Amino acid sequence: MTRQSVNKKDDIDSKVQDEMMLSLLRDIILKEDRSLITELKDNQINQEKLAERINPIIEYHIESLKRKFPTEYQKQVNKIVERKLKASQDELLDIVYPVMGKMVRKFVSHQFISMRENIDQRVRTIFSLKGLMKLIRSKVFGMEESELVLQDINQSQIQEIYIIERDSGLLMGDYSKNKTMDRDAIAGMLTAIKSFVEDAFTKERDELEMIEYGTYRIFIQSFHLYYFAIVLDGAITNSQKDQLTAKVLDFAEKEISENKDVELLQEELSEKIETYFK
Amino acid sequence: MVSKKVILTGNFGVGKTSLFNRFVFDKFNDKYLTTIGVKVNKKVIEVDDEEISILLWDIAGEVSQDKVPISYFLGASCIIYVFDMSRPLTFANIEHDINHLRDLLPDSLLKVVGNKKDLLTAEEIESVLDTLTIDCNITTSAKTGENVEELFDELARELLFD
Repeated sequence: MTRQSVNKKDDIDSKVQDEMMLSLLRDIILKEDRSLITELKDNQINQEKLAERINPIIEYHIESLKRKFPTEYQKQVNKIVERKLKASQDELLDIVYPVMGKMVRKFVSHQFISMRENIDQRVRTIFSLKGLMKLIRSKVFGMEESELVLQDINQSQIQEIYIIERDSGLLMGDYSKNKTMDRDAIAGMLTAIKSFVEDAFTKERDELEMIEYGTYRIFIQSFHLYYFAIVLDGAITNSQKDQLTAKVLDFAEKEISENKDVELLQEELSEKIETYFK
Repeated sequence: MVSKKVILTGNFGVGKTSLFNRFVFDKFNDKYLTTIGVKVNKKVIEVDDEEISILLWDIAGEVSQDKVPISYFLGASCIIYVFDMSRPLTFANIEHDINHLRDLLPDSLLKVVGNKKDLLTAEEIESVLDTLTIDCNITTSAKTGENVEELFDELARELLFD
């Protein structure tokens, strides 16, 4: 054997030895990780196996519970709900009452409008020539007066009247049953709302005529330099609206001079509004 | 008592409502709530034994003043144009906005107000005023209340006596 071949053999032996050492080292370092991986694999397989066995049983029980629930538990559930409702009766009333109240008020108010329109129509018919003949006949044979009486029910009440300078929104005069918010600020805000609606939704020369909120209505009558805003509580029929318009026109013609100074007019005008519309 | 309509206008978030609240209620709130449409309130000021009722219209901010309904401005005796001294964007179009307002209400008093001065140093305030192409009548801080009373007192005096 030559010296060269001996060296080569030594090299190979040393490499094999290194490889063995490295493998041993790998086994030592990775021992824990390997066992963990094996454990995880086993778990996964077991879980899958377990799920395969258990899932149908669970599903069967859920289905069965679903089917039996109304018959088996209805009584208990009903008792719980009943008890809960009794316990929170006041809270429930607190929540439901305002909503129901508003709905009922709105509905009644709406029904009154329809009824009043009908009554007006009938009264108009009564006072036509034909109607008068009927009226005489009903007098002779005993008359039903309930229709005429009903007309007086639900009369809309004037709560507040504002006369407001059209452009600036400054208050020219006012009358109010209840002293509520600052009336100058109300006049300003009404003007802002009116301007906004007229700018946004109406065509040229169209005016906002009515604002409704709940059972309240703000009737608006516009003039060249100012406008009236009349807050009414209750229903208003078309014929009442016509009467109110006539009254407003008459007041404007008699009492408001468009050339007068707003500041000087305010006190004087407020008194006149109260006397005229009260 | 004399009543006058005064408009507060200017871009978004310049502090119009804060000035309004400081003037009317003497209050300031750090929370920013944008004004929807318009808000109207009143304050009576006494100047030299005479009273004036200021009806202050706080109009929602618009980047371009010509987007605000013209009817809101009608009948106003004074317009207060507010800009935020700490945000150059709010006075970038000041000349255009002021010209628009002057065209709209040629006879009304116009006040240009630089607000939020508490956010700037004296040098920065000077620098902002130098860059303006329009005269700024007064610089204010709705937060500290600095110059707010002065602004409305001066305005009331001019509305009453000029």
